[in-house]
Amino acid sequence: MATPAADTKSSVDPATGSTREKSLSVMQRRWRKFKSLRRGWYSFIALIALYALSLLNPLLINSRALVVSYQGDLYFPAAAEWVGGRLYEAKEFGQRAIGEAEYRRLAEQYEEADEGDWVLMPPYPFHPNENLLREPGLAGNPPHPPQARHWLGTDDRGRDVFARLAYGFRVSITFALVTVSMYYLIGMFVGSVLGFFGGRVDIFGQRLVEIWAAIPFLYTVIIISNLLKPGVWLLAFVLAIFSWVGISFYMRGEFYREKAKDYAAAAIAQGESRRSIMFRHILPNSLTPVITFAPFAVVGSITALVSLDFLGFGLQAPTASWGELVNQGKQNIEHWHLVTFPLAALFVTLQLVVFIGEAVREAFDPKVFSRLR
Amino acid sequence: MAAYFARRFLLMIPTFIGITFVVFMITRFVPGGPVEQAILQLQQASGGEAGGGAAGNGDDGSGVPPEVREQLERQFGFDKPAPVAYVHWMGDLLTGDLGQSYKYSQPVMDVIVSRFPVSIYFGLIGFTLAYLICVPLGVYKAILHSSGFDIASSAIVFMGYSIPGWALGTLLLVYFGGGSFWDVIPLGGFRSANWDQMWEQGEIWWCVKDQLEHTIAPIISYMVGSFASLTILMKNSLMENMGQDYVRTAFAKGLPERRVIFVHALRNSLIPICTGLGHALGLIMAGSFLIEFAFNIDGIGYLGYTSIVGRDYAVVMGILVINTLLVLVGNILSDVLYVVVDPRIRFS
Repeated sequence: MATPAADTKSSVDPATGSTREKSLSVMQRRWRKFKSLRRGWYSFIALIALYALSLLNPLLINSRALVVSYQGDLYFPAAAEWVGGRLYEAKEFGQRAIGEAEYRRLAEQYEEADEGDWVLMPPYPFHPNENLLREPGLAGNPPHPPQARHWLGTDDRGRDVFARLAYGFRVSITFALVTVSMYYLIGMFVGSVLGFFGGRVDIFGQRLVEIWAAIPFLYTVIIISNLLKPGVWLLAFVLAIFSWVGISFYMRGEFYREKAKDYAAAAIAQGESRRSIMFRHILPNSLTPVITFAPFAVVGSITALVSLDFLGFGLQAPTASWGELVNQGKQNIEHWHLVTFPLAALFVTLQLVVFIGEAVREAFDPKVFSRLR
Repeated sequence: MAAYFARRFLLMIPTFIGITFVVFMITRFVPGGPVEQAILQLQQASGGEAGGGAAGNGDDGSGVPPEVREQLERQFGFDKPAPVAYVHWMGDLLTGDLGQSYKYSQPVMDVIVSRFPVSIYFGLIGFTLAYLICVPLGVYKAILHSSGFDIASSAIVFMGYSIPGWALGTLLLVYFGGGSFWDVIPLGGFRSANWDQMWEQGEIWWCVKDQLEHTIAPIISYMVGSFASLTILMKNSLMENMGQDYVRTAFAKGLPERRVIFVHALRNSLIPICTGLGHALGLIMAGSFLIEFAFNIDGIGYLGYTSIVGRDYAVVMGILVINTLLVLVGNILSDVLYVVVDPRIRFS
């Protein structure tokens, strides 16, 4: 591939090898174009930054202390929990309580005692699954409205809404990425095979795909999730096996178009194996539609997760989820914050992804409209 | 062409059998089916009155005698092997019998048909409004491409894309349903409980007003999803045609702009919009169960949802059959419409 002669022919510039840095590959050009579309590019950066931040949630939003200094020794309860280490008992830190240490109280206790012990709490010292009804300032029945210590109030079980939203963000994005990659793998494989082999394989395969596509997928997911009580991975898998059909149609169409081109014929004439022709030659040239669809696939699976949680057939009970909060809000319509904040979070997240999607589409598949006027 | 569509109709048969077979099998092999539920009810009943007097008779530990279990299995058609049961079910279907609902103790067809008015009402209004608003908006946006109006309306349209309909509906309920801020819309339902009574008393205006109040929020929720795609489809389609040679020719021969856009370009750009009309058939069964769940509307979507949760499989299968037929026929109808609208297109 990399002989100098081939290079000069393929590059637009007639000069020889020295022009390499000027001629960009298609992908590089698209990447540059994508970066130049500011709205999409900044959305991309913002989403990645938010997701990276949310991966650090256990150190930022947690009821367990970052550092405890007790009788000259240092302990790191939050980090220990994060890496799956043990939880510290209250009595280990000289706290008079049964079970796990309560670090916010411990901090107060050390301050009163003034013996040189100290506690460093995370910036937002509440855990999403923690019942806060014994907290000062949270008198009366939950949900509580937003207030200084609990920015977005509490939900109907007295848990901090902000903490649940932040953890829910991580769950939603992770879920979407896992689901989309799984069903992209299935859909791309099925589509490539149908498109490449064509003929009877295609006619028979298409019927099967059609049947699969027509199974009412949310219904089936509800039946399955009602039984198995799935976790994130299983739910993502169930959603994935009902979502790949659209991708397979894209791939099938692209393969039909690409395999008729000269380079495919050349590869066949060279005697390359089928697998090499399919995956090394045709596949990279058929990716445009599925790549431009990817952000919208992410939008779809985030929405699906929130919808399932809203109905009560999503993730298992204590998992922080946006849809569950919206459902609470629907049942307590006098508490506006229960609906407003999770939907705002959902809206902003989806909007960022849609902006990215628009920019990707513009970079990969620019539509130039010309008109006379 | 007729041969092509005849073949399409014939190909519907294996697809239809495939779909119903797969879902039928799922309903058979999922635990917690109607037999188990009936046994559970029996257990609760006997446990409540006699402290489980019959316990020990059954060898499965459920406390229900095997002959009772057999009778229940026969009653729900679970005594035969699954493929045989499917053939029986299909035989009944071919005579137009969808079976009995376990929950409502009525023929499935009656249960489903009783929900039609709700679905058709919302479906028809949503569908008509979507086309009435999106098509002119799309045309207008295409004419004013990259103007301030275009960019601003695009922003709104894309915002609609980022919020699911049911979510917007819940938001509307909380803000306008009297819970937190304004009290202008009712808290869901298809109409007020005393609607029929008022109608008989001749309070027509009250009835119309009540119905409208119950309609606004669900309709907004229904439309927010299709709004973005339909508007953008219309806009892009017209833009594409505006760049074609025949439009250039029309301008070159001195036709006024209005005539070029509205007579020449618009008619061609309506072609992709028209094909959507084929799916208008589905309006009978319209009704997203998420939106109906959000607004407590007892329509088809909600019926399907409660049937699945309550394992009323006869109703689940009934809805599936009608839905599948409508979708399959709608697909073909869309293609027929394509040919009618655009004679250049040939299927073979």
